[in-house]
Amino acid sequence: MSAPNDSRAEPHDTPALEVRDLVKTFGPVRANDGISFTVMPGEVHALLGENGAGKSTLVKSLYGVHRPDSGEILRDGKVQHLDSPSVARRSGIGMVFQDMRLIPALSVWENIALHLESTSGVLRPRQLRALIAETSERYGLATHPLRKVEHLSIGEWQRVELVKVLLGGLRLLILDEPTSVLTPQEVAGLFAMVRRLTAEGVAVIIITHKLREVRQIADRVTVLRGGRTVLMNASPHALTDAELITAMVGEPVETLQRAVTPPVTGAHALVRLNGVSVRRPDGDWGLRDLDLEIRPGEILGVAGLAGSGQNELADLLVGADGIADGEVVVDGEAVALPDPVRMRRAGIVGVAPDPVRQFVVPGMTVAEHTALWNSAGMFAFDVRHADADLRRRDAMAELRVVASSRRMDRLSGGNIQRALLTLALTSDARVVVASYPTRGLDVLTTERTRTLLRRLSEAGAAVVLISEDLDELLALSDRVAVLAVGRLAGILPGGTADRNTIGELMTGVEAA
Amino acid sequence: MSIAGEILANAIPGSIALVYPALGELVSERAGVINLGTEGAMLAGALGGIATSIGTGNVWLGVVVAVLCGAATGSVHATAVVLRRANQLASGLVVWFLALGVTSVLGASDNGQVVSLLGAVAVPGLSSIPVVGPVLFDQNLLVYLGYVLVPATWWFIHYTRGGLVLRATGERPAVVFAGGHKPLRVRFLAVCAGSAIAGLGGAQLALGIVGNWSNGMTNGYGFVAVAVVIFARWNPFGVLLGSYVFGVALAISSVVQAHGIATNQYLLDALPYCVTVVVLVAVSSVGRSNAPESQRDALSETS
Amino acid sequence: MTSERLVLTRSRAWDVARSAHRAVSWTRVGIVAGAYVLCLVAFAAFAAWRGANPLTLIPTMLQSSLLEPSALAQTLLRAVPIGFAALAVAVPARAGLVNVGGEGQLIIGAVAGAGVGIAVGAHVPGVVGVLLTVTAGTLAGGLWAAISGMLKVAFGAAESVTTLLMNFIANDIMLFLIYQPWKDPNGSGQPQSRPLAASIRLQPLLGTGVTLAVVLLVVVTVGLWFVIRRTGWGFALRVVGGNPMAAMRNGLPTRRLSLSAMTVGGALAGLGGVLNLIGVEGQLRPDLTATFGYVGFLACFLGRNDPIRVALAAILFSAIALSGNGMQISEGLDGSIVNVLLGAIVLTMLTVGRRTKEALT
Repeated sequence: MSAPNDSRAEPHDTPALEVRDLVKTFGPVRANDGISFTVMPGEVHALLGENGAGKSTLVKSLYGVHRPDSGEILRDGKVQHLDSPSVARRSGIGMVFQDMRLIPALSVWENIALHLESTSGVLRPRQLRALIAETSERYGLATHPLRKVEHLSIGEWQRVELVKVLLGGLRLLILDEPTSVLTPQEVAGLFAMVRRLTAEGVAVIIITHKLREVRQIADRVTVLRGGRTVLMNASPHALTDAELITAMVGEPVETLQRAVTPPVTGAHALVRLNGVSVRRPDGDWGLRDLDLEIRPGEILGVAGLAGSGQNELADLLVGADGIADGEVVVDGEAVALPDPVRMRRAGIVGVAPDPVRQFVVPGMTVAEHTALWNSAGMFAFDVRHADADLRRRDAMAELRVVASSRRMDRLSGGNIQRALLTLALTSDARVVVASYPTRGLDVLTTERTRTLLRRLSEAGAAVVLISEDLDELLALSDRVAVLAVGRLAGILPGGTADRNTIGELMTGVEAA
Repeated sequence: MSIAGEILANAIPGSIALVYPALGELVSERAGVINLGTEGAMLAGALGGIATSIGTGNVWLGVVVAVLCGAATGSVHATAVVLRRANQLASGLVVWFLALGVTSVLGASDNGQVVSLLGAVAVPGLSSIPVVGPVLFDQNLLVYLGYVLVPATWWFIHYTRGGLVLRATGERPAVVFAGGHKPLRVRFLAVCAGSAIAGLGGAQLALGIVGNWSNGMTNGYGFVAVAVVIFARWNPFGVLLGSYVFGVALAISSVVQAHGIATNQYLLDALPYCVTVVVLVAVSSVGRSNAPESQRDALSETS
Repeated sequence: MTSERLVLTRSRAWDVARSAHRAVSWTRVGIVAGAYVLCLVAFAAFAAWRGANPLTLIPTMLQSSLLEPSALAQTLLRAVPIGFAALAVAVPARAGLVNVGGEGQLIIGAVAGAGVGIAVGAHVPGVVGVLLTVTAGTLAGGLWAAISGMLKVAFGAAESVTTLLMNFIANDIMLFLIYQPWKDPNGSGQPQSRPLAASIRLQPLLGTGVTLAVVLLVVVTVGLWFVIRRTGWGFALRVVGGNPMAAMRNGLPTRRLSLSAMTVGGALAGLGGVLNLIGVEGQLRPDLTATFGYVGFLACFLGRNDPIRVALAAILFSAIALSGNGMQISEGLDGSIVNVLLGAIVLTMLTVGRRTKEALT
């Protein structure tokens, strides 16, 4: 194992990576249908595209996870067969996955040891820890080798992943949507590290769907749509945002413009949290001493680092979680929680933060999920009329939900999300608690969902919008509440809040 | 010696007979596979040990055969669960069932034949420590092997690359695969190795304690082992403690009877299982379990 | 809107692929059939090794379980405890609970039935005696399983382990009773309980050799099929079993549902135990259940938790279990060789059947 080579590949003529006409099919689906692009040494190359455009399939082929059906992958001008991730790693390719590939129950150094080639049967923790410390320092990636990964913040988690790939003698780094869970400050740190690597001649591929990042970091950009290359090796500076979006989506998209509605004056809060604290199953505080008012006709955005209490807040509001301290007042009346039925009858519905774990019942159809949703705790399940009801809802939401006879657990993440949104956003709710509502959706459905949320609030409902996407929060929210380690770090008016202030608030309490 | 002292002392051989299957179960579960077939591996080990001793007159050859029988039994479970992704609980029960049937048929001729037990070997020096010396260090060699195997397993799990890969496989096999290892192979070997260790437990029971073969003689030790591993929070030293608690409950019955105290044998026989249930409940109720992530739901897999 | 179209084509294509797979699966059928044949051949080889004639083996087995009317009646009678024990697994399985305690629940059902049956004896009319006995057995089985259910919902103790351990406790309780308080003074020293009064025993129906217990098994099976498919309770159990978190978020009383499923399961096994007692055994004795509870568990797996298929699997296993008698008598084999065949069949089913979903790559 050695750290990346310092000697720069001087004449940058031979591409570090060249992909020629790559095809990868899964059954009848052509996930990659003839993709080509090149990455030069020392270059940051952005792969831009919607969910389902084939970006992940592509990079998994580059990393040896998938074997392409046809096409060629050239490294430094030579054809290479990447049969497995370890072959890819040995040839200097490192990848940081979006769903981070670390084991929570193991310590940082153990996770790293797991990925290093070694002939010794006995572990040498001290030696390895020294090596980790050295690499961490060199690239400015603060890590704690002895800590268990489950206790790390998401940003630290990513830094461990980076140290892991850096220890392997890196020539080509692939980052799969690396910024989606980071604060603006952490994104800046990540990009600084990427620049240090490119200065050493390492080539970097960054997968993203955010134009801002393409502009910030990428030297060149390749756009994928429907498994094909629609724009190859272009310079992002020569293109407008509209051109890039059109390339991604296939047609121009009008993004929702900010239109802050004047707060409904004199309206009393539908839900009020007074000094609410919630304990997690592991004993830590999920929420601490939270005061919050949820008002009709208003979109309340909730920002925070992953795991700062957003999910606890969402669970609490739909009655799925109990409180350790404080009180939850609904329509002026304190309620005893957990009590999902009580909250649902009060007109509170939720878009679950983790639909696969919290919404999908394996073995049940979309119609049966509709019947379950409609039962609202009444223990009467009308499966027979569920199909008609779902079609009525679909006509309202226009999110194009799949046929109700399909099994929910066999749907893609995006289709599950559409089904959930269709149910939640057409339920005559007074409060909609929408956690990450647009996660995994394509651009058009995302815009549609945002429009629906806006409409609900205009019609007088309260919307609690929990999101990792600061742009989304700023575009939609009337107020933005920032959570940090379970505490309310501040509430900003949506119109004037800026990204850096929110970023500072997100991390502000972290030191405590 | 007081009755209580006698119980505590008599508990050692029985505890060790449980330490083996529990350690085997631990190894298997650390790799992410629950093995109810541990009961079957013990049975196979017990019969293999007895039959070989009877056939060859060599007890130690019997112990070796017990290990092999255990591993062979485990390989059936490993094939079904690891290679064919069968339901773990059902496969474990089936393996036990198969072992029950096969050993009953094969053991029919050995029924009732008595073999000489493994002899006690006093450890010089240690066995003359007052009170605990004779209790702990005047036992057969399989008991001593059990003492050694506990820390050895602990060291293997925490300080070797193989142990790290084993633990990681039990947590997130996909990550292990991404790291260039072969989680299926790790699991297969872990199940076989665990069952081989369980086979030693069968040998300790048959050749170290009972001295003859009877159908289904392991009486649920392999199932208790699953509970002991939960109690131990997947830590080998916890296995030692849990096994000893069970061994004490087991010893109560024999000691009380030997003293001619009028009680009902069968109610006392139920005691170890009751203790196990109570202990399991106590451990489960303290909250967060240490269970390897990939098998956290395996105890409730219904299809 | 290409991406949208892509998603739609993709899902439609998958559907087509899947239904095509369903239609043309002859290779698969061949593999499965071949596996079962291989399983039978392996068993015959094992039996031959132990001295049986592999050619007469299968006819002997069929003769002693299905072909003779009296053997067929025995098979159906034996299917009662196995079938109820299997249904006792199927109901909790709907709620995501693993009940490996069928054996103990059968025993406790029989024990409670015997207790009540001995107590009421011939003091009450036969019908009342039977009703009391059966009710006692059913309730006892339910309560016995409810212990594990409670331990699960209140403390999170793994029900698969507690139900398994409680089998041994139940067996020791029965042994205690038949060696001491309930011992038959006229049993010539054998450990067995006093026999039940003839008025409490089930009589064969119209000279068929089959008792009301078999009819009851059919009725309960069909009833359960309906309850699981058509009632709110059945729907709710599926939700809890499929995803407890989703069930809770939809306001379903998950703990009560789990407990109810476990209790109903135990009650079914208890019913099977007491029916076996009053229909076949007449008194408690060691090895009363002869691993029927575990056989039931395996039958439930073979029938994949669907009541009707589960009951059919139970009849099949009952036939296999009985065929052990024939092998014992005419082939000179140890009767427990049938456990080998049972195990082999389920193992075959597990290895060629549906797989669990854990992603390894």
